[in-house]
Amino acid sequence: MVKRVGLVLISAVMGLVSAGSFAAGKDELVVYSGRSDSFVKPVVEAFTKQTGIQVILHNASSTELLNKLRVEGERTEADLYLSNDAGNLQLGSELGLFQPLPEASTKLVDARWRAPDNTWLGLSARARVLVVNTKVKDLDFIKSVFDLADPRLKGRLGITNAANESFVAGTTVYMLAAGKEKTRNWLQGLKDNAGKTVFDKHGKIVSAVAEGKLDVGLVNHYYIYRHLNEQPNAPIRIVLPDQGEQGMGVAWNVAGVAVSKYTQKKELAEKFVAFLVSEEGQKIFAEVNEEYPTRAGVPVAARLPTPASVKVANVPLSKLGPERDATLDLIDAVGMP
Amino acid sequence: MIKSRFGPLGTVAGMVVLTAAIPLLFVIYSSGQLSAAQWAGLWSSRLPMLLGNTLSLAALVGIGSLVLGLSSAWLIARRDFPGRRFALWLMVLPLTIPTYVFAHIYTTLFEEQGWLGRLWRGLFGEAVAIPDLYNVFGAAWILSLASFSYVFLLAHAALSHSSRALEEAARIQGAAPWQVFWRVTLPLLRPAIAAGLAVVVLHVLSDFGAVSMLRYQTFTLSIYLQMSGRFDYQGAAGLSLVLVLLSLTFLAMERFFRTRQRYYAGAQGAIIKPKPARPWECVWIGLWLSHIVLFAFALPLLWMLDMTWTAWQAGALGERFWGYVFNSLLVAFCAASAAMLVALPIGLFHVRRPTWLSGGFMNLSSVGFVLPGPVIALGIITFMLAVLPVLYGGLAALVAALMVRFLPLAVQAEEAAMQQLTPSVEQAGRVHGAGPLENLWRVTLPMIRGGLGVAWVLVFIDVLKELPATLILRPIGFDTLPVRIWIEASEEMLELAAPAALMLVVASLPALWILMRGKKGR
Repeated sequence: MVKRVGLVLISAVMGLVSAGSFAAGKDELVVYSGRSDSFVKPVVEAFTKQTGIQVILHNASSTELLNKLRVEGERTEADLYLSNDAGNLQLGSELGLFQPLPEASTKLVDARWRAPDNTWLGLSARARVLVVNTKVKDLDFIKSVFDLADPRLKGRLGITNAANESFVAGTTVYMLAAGKEKTRNWLQGLKDNAGKTVFDKHGKIVSAVAEGKLDVGLVNHYYIYRHLNEQPNAPIRIVLPDQGEQGMGVAWNVAGVAVSKYTQKKELAEKFVAFLVSEEGQKIFAEVNEEYPTRAGVPVAARLPTPASVKVANVPLSKLGPERDATLDLIDAVGMP
Repeated sequence: MIKSRFGPLGTVAGMVVLTAAIPLLFVIYSSGQLSAAQWAGLWSSRLPMLLGNTLSLAALVGIGSLVLGLSSAWLIARRDFPGRRFALWLMVLPLTIPTYVFAHIYTTLFEEQGWLGRLWRGLFGEAVAIPDLYNVFGAAWILSLASFSYVFLLAHAALSHSSRALEEAARIQGAAPWQVFWRVTLPLLRPAIAAGLAVVVLHVLSDFGAVSMLRYQTFTLSIYLQMSGRFDYQGAAGLSLVLVLLSLTFLAMERFFRTRQRYYAGAQGAIIKPKPARPWECVWIGLWLSHIVLFAFALPLLWMLDMTWTAWQAGALGERFWGYVFNSLLVAFCAASAAMLVALPIGLFHVRRPTWLSGGFMNLSSVGFVLPGPVIALGIITFMLAVLPVLYGGLAALVAALMVRFLPLAVQAEEAAMQQLTPSVEQAGRVHGAGPLENLWRVTLPMIRGGLGVAWVLVFIDVLKELPATLILRPIGFDTLPVRIWIEASEEMLELAAPAALMLVVASLPALWILMRGKKGR
């Protein structure tokens, strides 16, 4: 027994001593990634193949990783931060966690897809759209996201829960474009229409609409195409809300990247960013998820509405950061599930 | 003289407790920065709702696990039926499934196309809506299934060791069997039930997995959202402080009632032998137990096997998967060993020199159970970066946090074993010339090895399942099974999450076996 305890003790100590061995190697990049592994891996593999630079993906939710960066400060091992939400990128930028990106990369991306001070860069853009069941006839009145609060949709609407980053970001855009009061009433209407069933995943909303259990849902555009890839004959179609002369436009968000202020491998990190905005990188990054590349001139998947044909809400992405608290307050006040 | 009261043992115990209290100090410090207005804001905007939600969930889960745990414990301890030994095992196996996995599985099963959803439609048609799990009853259902085993374990131990004399006396006096149960057996069980319920309620108060999955707003979830969504660490700390007070009040109440009610049975009393069950009894015992097993273990297991098979066929289980298994085992092993070791001085100090100080140490060491995992992680990060930056980024931070988180389990198991230690044996060792350390090594430790083993196993199983602190504190690129489950499930790739969940069950089995072997031996 004594020997056994001794063994346990020694192994425990050894485990603790091996603590240092997790540090990244000299030519390895550490990326805090809040984007799904399966969407980031293809582009990372292409990058490694081309440059020989290894990339370690440290995966968790965007928000959690931003917290980690913030608490770690200059001790962080992260060289880059990858997020699904411009709000998180902007918050990190305002907390002074990132450094400006080289102009060679930033100039390739339209100014509306990046930080005003170039501390982060959008890589792929997604639109908040509606998914509608094509067999249902009486839905033509829906022209705007605000129509989703119409009592006629009671029990027929699918939304995610209010902790979803895309839901929060979309709501911020509507709040800034249409005002707090209107957005608050809208949230109340959504809550009444969705009933107690909110979804934890966008994918499930699209499935529910396709199966006819619900008639309409508020989602990011690529979830609709993802579903159509698996079931090409599903009775669903995309509706771009708030278009036309009077419309406020669609809410956009980006997945983007930033370089940590405290990285020891600035050069390598910038190389990675350069690859992400290269034509090859953009193609892979956007294509795996059927999103819009942010670099002009990179072709968009044929079945997506062309960027030029979509009216976009006039709210700078950089507002998604500082205004998030106000949105959360609104959501809390209504008591969104 | 302070020195004689404190001694080297007290010093070591004090150091351990100080480490364990780091997250609590962090919480007190951060919430101290809240202004009165901010407190008022917290109070008016969420505290009443959170208190209501958390307490009603705890009450429902308490009732649920009491019904499941007590009934199964009584049947297995008091009735002899075919497959009894096997049933004993089956009742403990749910402990190997984390609450977030339970939640994932049941929400999937209750979907329109899920197994239970289709069964429901087949039974009730369109008329009755499929039960919705995103509410207090759904959360209570899942947490009861995940934690009734604690009540079972303690109640079963008490029932199979209680003396025959009292119940026989009652029968001779003319009491009907149900009266014996109600007026003799049950009151005798009260300490075990209280202890089991305490463990269950503490698990509910600190649960993060199931409530975050089901979006049921309790303290832990709200604290997490406050911290991570709004970067409001002070607000999170304020809420944590309220949660700590709540848990401590509950613990104090439990201890108060337990010390007020002492029941003694004569030492010589013969132990009750289980009565052979009549055939019709076997049928309903079998029905009841198999229903519990079905929902608490068999269905989740079948689902995991089904999904794992899909993943296996798709060739999704590569080398990396085994890396996650290794990482999980490594962390669980280190944290369990560390917790077992550092719990020793606290327990010994309390048993040898029971004072208000040692009692205070015992209480402080239970901080890990009353603080949410993310808060512990944040406290440890902040402390390490400020004081021991060299250690940050490796396994040390993670192991330290998990040790703090599960220290109370180790302390309780070891203290229980030490209480049975006869001082004279130790004194004999000293008389024969052994120094204090040699005495500890050659006399004390071998005598409490059972307790040490239980402590190790309990911590091991819980660390294996731990998610929130691991998610924040793991070294770069170091993914464990729960982390993978979380990542894959949040990408809606449940077929990739299932093999990891299945491995958790498999990896816990040897540890459970050690625990159960000890149970049978007594």
